[in-house]
Amino acid sequence: MTTEVTNIVVEVMPHFEGYVYPNESGQHPLWSVLIVLYPYITGLVAGAFIMASLVRVFKVRALEPVYRLSMLTALAFLLCAPLPLLFHLGHPERCYEVMMTPHLTSPMAIFGFVYAWYLMAVLLLELWFDFRRDLVAWSNVTSGFRGIIYRLFTLGVTDVSGPALRLDDKIGRTLSIVGIPSAFLLHGYVGFIFGSIKANPWWGSPLVPIIFILSAVVSGIALCVFNYMVLSWVRRRNTDMPCLDIMARFLFYALVVDAAVEGLDWIHRIYAAEEGFQIMKVMIREKLFYTLNLGQATMGTLLPLLLLGSLQLLRKRVPELIRRRMYFASSALILVGVLAMRWNVVIGGQLFSKSLRGVMAYKMEFSGMEGWFMGAVLLALPFTILTVFIKLFLSEKLPSAGHGEPTAARG
Amino acid sequence: MGLFKMPPQIVRLVLLTIAIVGSYFVARAFLTPASFHQYGWFRGNALEELASYQPVFAGKKSCEECHDDQYQKLMKGAHKGLSCEGCHGPSQAHVDDPDDTAARPKKEPFSACVRCHEFNPSRPKWHHQIVSRTHYSGNKCTDCHVPHSPLDVP
Repeated sequence: MTTEVTNIVVEVMPHFEGYVYPNESGQHPLWSVLIVLYPYITGLVAGAFIMASLVRVFKVRALEPVYRLSMLTALAFLLCAPLPLLFHLGHPERCYEVMMTPHLTSPMAIFGFVYAWYLMAVLLLELWFDFRRDLVAWSNVTSGFRGIIYRLFTLGVTDVSGPALRLDDKIGRTLSIVGIPSAFLLHGYVGFIFGSIKANPWWGSPLVPIIFILSAVVSGIALCVFNYMVLSWVRRRNTDMPCLDIMARFLFYALVVDAAVEGLDWIHRIYAAEEGFQIMKVMIREKLFYTLNLGQATMGTLLPLLLLGSLQLLRKRVPELIRRRMYFASSALILVGVLAMRWNVVIGGQLFSKSLRGVMAYKMEFSGMEGWFMGAVLLALPFTILTVFIKLFLSEKLPSAGHGEPTAARG
Repeated sequence: MGLFKMPPQIVRLVLLTIAIVGSYFVARAFLTPASFHQYGWFRGNALEELASYQPVFAGKKSCEECHDDQYQKLMKGAHKGLSCEGCHGPSQAHVDDPDDTAARPKKEPFSACVRCHEFNPSRPKWHHQIVSRTHYSGNKCTDCHVPHSPLDVP
């Protein structure tokens, strides 16, 4: 045999153990690492928006320094949210067809509606009303390409009088209130796609959409903490400690609720011990040992709970520098932990046979459309877009921008 | 006159929304395939479209007309159920113009054999299977096998 042929044959033969249906033994999981990234990125969007709404709707004034950063984070990640799906499906040149022939009875196609609503009706509108006053001011003092961008974004409206700004603030707040259920809808929908597959015991549970939303909130707040600390470090600015303390407190609360509901889900699964329980035990003990026990449970949940929880009790006794490092470590751990959680859901649900008596394997390739490299590019892309947004809309050289607070015509 | 009393930013947003939604419907009018929804949620003329393609496979009978000896040999052996073009590739162009050397089917690649005979647990036990990596260190399956008559020795 030529080496080309033998190499191909050795590589394409997947491994499996136990009783596996013939059609399952010959293929790798259909939903690859790109489909792991899709709920991860969508969750970060929803979480970052919820974080921003703490300022706008729930009036947590201490968080104002990160309000605009959170909103821009949500936008940067939302712009990248459909990309994993687009690349996974192939034929990106046909992507417009899904919009030309909208389908109302397919749960998968509903993503188009949910996404369009969240991007166009919530996030972009709220950002526009928030930034309008500044966009007008910046377009007056900036020339060149930047100036054109600012002028374009003002949509030609230069009225920044008191009543106009008050109206902006009112509409922005209303949009924020509408945005909270919309963010829940966006990520609840992603959870629903998995939770409604009743033939798969790993996915089919009504708690899955709720777990998805809660883990999204946790990962979104962690991302805001992470971004804020990195941005402060890059700009050589001191972090606003009261703001960071409050963010970490909300992160802790969200993590407690998330861990409690996930724990509840597991208690329910263990007590009910339905037909898929035996195979789940195999998954936990063998196939997903590292990503579930170490990645999701230990690194992503227990360690951050310990770090953040101890700071809730001992905040005043811990010096600022140590506190900052603990917050940074917790947020990074949570971000890794939630990624591991998405992996466990998406890949874990495809690693066992429909016979519930055998397991398959998934070996991620490096290059190629569904490999490590593409995954890394897709994860780096929203950060790149966010950097451009920060340069454009959170620049320290522009008047009144700073880290930003809600524009709000106060008074 | 109510429109002119609306705040300017709202007027601009309403106009922008109308422009976006309007351009969507214009795009939809142009980009939706004409026969969509004719019968259901798919292109009504999908089958006609497929039928209009120029066939590239000529069929076993066309091969028999010129390669009768190989055909007879094949029909006596275990591979009689296989199509010629399954291993040799599509040959309509070759049938249309047998003198055109460029249109002749290529020499079959070795992957044509392992496509069916590489070991795969989902294949039935009676089907002859090998693990090509350990089966033979040479280059060609035809060193030892005759594909047109698998039980013969070359």
